[in-house]
Amino acid sequence: MAVNGIHSQPDTAALACGQDAATVWDRAATGRLGTHDRDCPHCRAVADDQRVLAMAIDALNDQAMEPPPSLVDHVMGAVLTELRPADYLPLPTRHGRARIDRIAAAVVLRHAVDQMTALRVRSCRLHLIEPLASPDTHTPTAVWVHISVTARFGTDLFSATARVRQMILTAAEDLLGLPITAVDVDVVDLFADPARGTH
Amino acid sequence: MLHVSDTVVARVAAYHACRVPGVLRLRPDLAQSLASIATRLFPPRDGEHRIPTDGVTAVIEAGRAEISITLVAQWGRNCRDLAEEVQNQVAEHVGAYTGLPATVTITITDVDYTG
Repeated sequence: MAVNGIHSQPDTAALACGQDAATVWDRAATGRLGTHDRDCPHCRAVADDQRVLAMAIDALNDQAMEPPPSLVDHVMGAVLTELRPADYLPLPTRHGRARIDRIAAAVVLRHAVDQMTALRVRSCRLHLIEPLASPDTHTPTAVWVHISVTARFGTDLFSATARVRQMILTAAEDLLGLPITAVDVDVVDLFADPARGTH
Repeated sequence: MLHVSDTVVARVAAYHACRVPGVLRLRPDLAQSLASIATRLFPPRDGEHRIPTDGVTAVIEAGRAEISITLVAQWGRNCRDLAEEVQNQVAEHVGAYTGLPATVTITITDVDYTG
């Protein structure tokens, strides 16, 4: 029945020979071509097109979809970056704003202290004492480092912690470019070192 | 008068930022990562090789380019100096190529040993 007075056209495309192209296509796809289909140049052209397309589809189907090797790392890195709370420390650059992820900065400092054999780092946290009121990069920032360590039994704790402070300050300046205002060192435990006879 | 899009500025910035020694890679956000993967799996039909803008956003406002770059730094490089170098290089090249003065904000999300 016509709708809005417009007669619907049948969804067909007649070939020059009078055959319906879609019907010929279907017969070619199902391997039911008749004598006319095989002899008529118009129908044969449709059947040839169908065959070429089918071959192309088969070739694509045979190709295994290989994801890039770094796909998982790529996605997980992005997901972790998105999910991790944005927590940055300002870097005092002269041109424009710059900042570094607080955890990344802590890892750098922690690694520096980990070079000491008499101590093992339990945790390292950086705190911004005076949060920036404005994005002005020239505003001095005060960063306070709180590091907790375990010490080998028998280690001179006073000199070891002084050395920790010095290493933190040096690493912060050399590797981060981040001025540190204060370093608190907590010795939270002692460990034995059988090789040195301290157990 | 020359008019350039945000995308043009982002591509120029990304191209030069990742060439600064000490920049291991630019860090795309999740949307950029997914778009990048989709582009690798389904390359553009026009066959053009597009310079990636992963980790870079650019906005042109009032005749200035505001560029934000997120990157992973190489271990051992001074992060402040690296940030400054990227700011200088990117601002200089964007200015020379597009004529736009640029302000560059750097975010270092990671410091990587592996580079």
